[in-house]
Amino acid sequence: MSARELFSFRNPHTRTAVSVTAFVFLLSALIGFVLLPLAQPHLQLAGLWDAICSAAGVPRGVASTAAPPAEPTSKVVLTSATLAHPSQQSIGRGATLAQRCAICHGPTGISRADSPNLAGQYAAVIYKELADFRSGARVNAVMTPFATNLTDQEIADLAAYYAYLPRLPAFHPEPPRAPGTIVVYGAPSRGIAPCGSCHGSLDNKTGSPWLEGQSAVYLKAQLEAFASGQRRNDISAQMRNIARAMTSAEIEEAAAYYASQPAEVVKAVE
Amino acid sequence: MLVNRRLILAHFWLAFAVFGLALLLGAWQMFVRSPLHTWLSNPEWYYRSLTAHGTVMGYVFPTLVAMGFGYAIAESSLQQRLIGVRWAWTGYGLLAIGAVMAMVPVALGRASVLYTFYPPLIGNAFYYIGVVLVVVGSWVWVALMSVNLYAWKKAHPGEVVPLPMFANVAGSYLWAWTAVGAALELLFQIIPVALGLKSTIDAGLARVFFSWTLHAIVYFWLIPSYIAYYTIVPRAIGGRLYSDTMARISFILFLVVAMPIGIHHVFADPMVGAGFKFVHSAFTALVAVPTLLTVFTICASVEIASRLRGGRGAFGWVRALPWDNPIMLAVTFSFVMLGFGGAGGLINMSYQLNTTIHNTQWITGHFHLIFGGAIVIMYFAIAYDLWPHLTGRALTDLRLMRTQLWLWFIGMIVTTFPWHYVGILGMPRRMAYYDYTNPALAPEAIQVTISVIGAVILVISGALFLTVLIRGQRTPQADSGPYRFSVALHPPTSLPAVLNSHGLWIALMIALTITNYGFPILNLAARSGTSVPAVYVGAQ
Amino acid sequence: MSLEAQDHHDGAAIAARTERRWAIMSVVIIVVLTLLAVVAGLHQVTMPQARVETADPARLHLAGEFMESNLGTEVGADGAVTVRAIGQQYSFTPACILVPVDTPITLRATSADVVHGILVQGTNINTMLVPGYISEQFMRFHATGDHLMPCQEFCSFGHEGMWGKVRVIDKAAFAARAKAGGRLSCVGE
Repeated sequence: MSARELFSFRNPHTRTAVSVTAFVFLLSALIGFVLLPLAQPHLQLAGLWDAICSAAGVPRGVASTAAPPAEPTSKVVLTSATLAHPSQQSIGRGATLAQRCAICHGPTGISRADSPNLAGQYAAVIYKELADFRSGARVNAVMTPFATNLTDQEIADLAAYYAYLPRLPAFHPEPPRAPGTIVVYGAPSRGIAPCGSCHGSLDNKTGSPWLEGQSAVYLKAQLEAFASGQRRNDISAQMRNIARAMTSAEIEEAAAYYASQPAEVVKAVE
Repeated sequence: MLVNRRLILAHFWLAFAVFGLALLLGAWQMFVRSPLHTWLSNPEWYYRSLTAHGTVMGYVFPTLVAMGFGYAIAESSLQQRLIGVRWAWTGYGLLAIGAVMAMVPVALGRASVLYTFYPPLIGNAFYYIGVVLVVVGSWVWVALMSVNLYAWKKAHPGEVVPLPMFANVAGSYLWAWTAVGAALELLFQIIPVALGLKSTIDAGLARVFFSWTLHAIVYFWLIPSYIAYYTIVPRAIGGRLYSDTMARISFILFLVVAMPIGIHHVFADPMVGAGFKFVHSAFTALVAVPTLLTVFTICASVEIASRLRGGRGAFGWVRALPWDNPIMLAVTFSFVMLGFGGAGGLINMSYQLNTTIHNTQWITGHFHLIFGGAIVIMYFAIAYDLWPHLTGRALTDLRLMRTQLWLWFIGMIVTTFPWHYVGILGMPRRMAYYDYTNPALAPEAIQVTISVIGAVILVISGALFLTVLIRGQRTPQADSGPYRFSVALHPPTSLPAVLNSHGLWIALMIALTITNYGFPILNLAARSGTSVPAVYVGAQ
Repeated sequence: MSLEAQDHHDGAAIAARTERRWAIMSVVIIVVLTLLAVVAGLHQVTMPQARVETADPARLHLAGEFMESNLGTEVGADGAVTVRAIGQQYSFTPACILVPVDTPITLRATSADVVHGILVQGTNINTMLVPGYISEQFMRFHATGDHLMPCQEFCSFGHEGMWGKVRVIDKAAFAARAKAGGRLSCVGE
């Protein structure tokens, strides 16, 4: 029983095995690549070769339909690689630029009013919001003029600087409250995931800010703005989907909870 | 002549120890996502447990069983001392190190990506490297099986390869080749991204590579059980194997057709062409044939045992079977679960029927029934059958073994039947909690609760199983004689080359891989535009 | 040949014949099942999508078919109804999909980040959303009402919260809403 005997076509068993295998493959290929595609006229295939290529999985472009005119939405592209490794020079330039931000956002990046605390915020978040203010995807009477003349590099530098700052307690720290069910569990039936699954305590989705210690007034205003559709810079409506499904009591509860949390619990992004 | 008993026992003990731990995790998972438990305040724990449970039950436990059983077969059926014992221990060590290396990041919550990986979600690199080491350790075993058979063939030219070894080696080659898919995915796609060398990955291509492994791996798990059907059961119940030839044909069919059918796992995916989905569907239909052949042959073999005991009548012979023998119970339960699980598999294999239950709890119910049920219950039988020959002590408590097997069977049915049903109701997979107060989901609540009861039964059965094995290390010494396999009714004195060697079948397996997977892989690998940004899980 | 050997030889022949018969039956069963699938395919029951199409998940919102203003239900010039949706961590957009009853509809969807799934409970509309590729499935609803639409694939720790909805309304009500043009959905209702 040598290998030559086994692999020879004079061996009837070998002949049978190879023929049956080949037959099954060819027959199923004929059905799968020719018969079935061509039997579906609604696919609008351009002939036999198109049918075979489509069935094989060769990527085909499809004529895209014209989209109706868009209201301005965010043009920022975010991935885990966005602003991943800021240089010291970038942080230094950002420090200089940030001097004009201190008037509202505080010299240490901790706000004394209801503007957001920026100290230690994820760089991708700061980058995105500044870029959105600049493009008009997000509109605010105070922020829009500040952002209008910033270049891409300046925005990146500011983001790097604020991300680098230590996370300090809020100006008016509140006693920590227990989280309500909306924060801990979300509401699956309404399509709401737990806040922490994006906002850092469970996992950070690039572009989602951590919320601990932010002003309750600010958080509530943003959630309401998302819920009403007034704020539209969340990419593909992902926050509008959430906020719209929340009740006003839940919005208050979530805002109050996060405002009461110490910022130091936030885990850093690598 | 089982010489390297410590080696084999080491494999089985590690296998069953991690099995016990993973079983506990599985029961916990069933409980916390049921209506009996409040929602987890940290859903990541659930996904962490899922990752650990799946990795152990899928990659570590069955691999160790196949390896241990394989070494036992190599020595006993070939009547030849194992060649390469040092290598065998090296392989075992690599596997153990890999398993620990993988489990550490999982336990720390740094790799909660599930055992199916699913990039672009990316966890800690050591999880993936650990899995690679587990596979490499098992490939050492594959090489040794091949070496040992080759040496025997040289020493016994022209003789019939004993069936257990023929099947064992077929299984090892199948595993070696099927593991290549996941290995390519891990080595060339995932690990570079996990180490930070790249930041994008083609998620579709990764799923195609994984599908290469994902179906045939269940046949790798299944082959020890089928070897037990053919070579242990007839002997254990006092019968004969009805047909040696059909047994070989079944294992050959598995070797050729189990592998190039994985795209039925991505029927619902957008990156594979419909033509290839149909071709894989046709070959998947073919892989049902060896199971149908096996069912017939084993039933016939069991009938022989009954007739030899005086069984009479067209169906009455069933009563004359040795029902006090745990192996008899095991094979019966296994066949019942194989019947239901196999029917479910036929449903999954049909594209049209699959669309209703894809990625619902039906899928989870299905593979727990067929793997956790039909296959693992035979792992128990293999352990019970081999144990006296490995420990040199008798297993005396037949009643405890029978109770353990009954509980496993009942527990599996109670767990998986409602599980299939909630899948039909549309309950999605892999969620840490569900809102059973939602009227659309309320009918699922009672079903999931019943599954929890089944899970408890399974844990008890698992504990009993370990009890039997531990006790079996403590009973007085007793020589059980050499380990024997079943004898065929008409033992072959000579066989055509195609039934006595694997070369042609391996060639066909590789050829079908090229025809069935070649283009889908190259089509995606050659394009750079299909790579997407990685999403690192659990940014710390 | 002695009687015993003859018996043995006959026995082997009988066994072989019986096995062969069963093997043929098994193959016939399997072939019939496969043919059923082919026949079903020829009669246009739900089939795998015919084409592979690619997309850039990180840039979906910038331009093209899956930008935000193009998501939702569109009634084309020829009356064809197309639903476009994306899945992202951890919601679908539109979160509530509005469709008319008894109408052929094309669902086109993709993922903006990781692998998601889209399953419309109570139906066989069920497909994966793989980032980098566009999924397409044809659907037709036979009754009005609401369906839950969960994500059926693990997409990281918020997966358990990812539930959307499909609302099926009668053709007249849908046509009235479609008159205004644009993209329809039932979000906020």
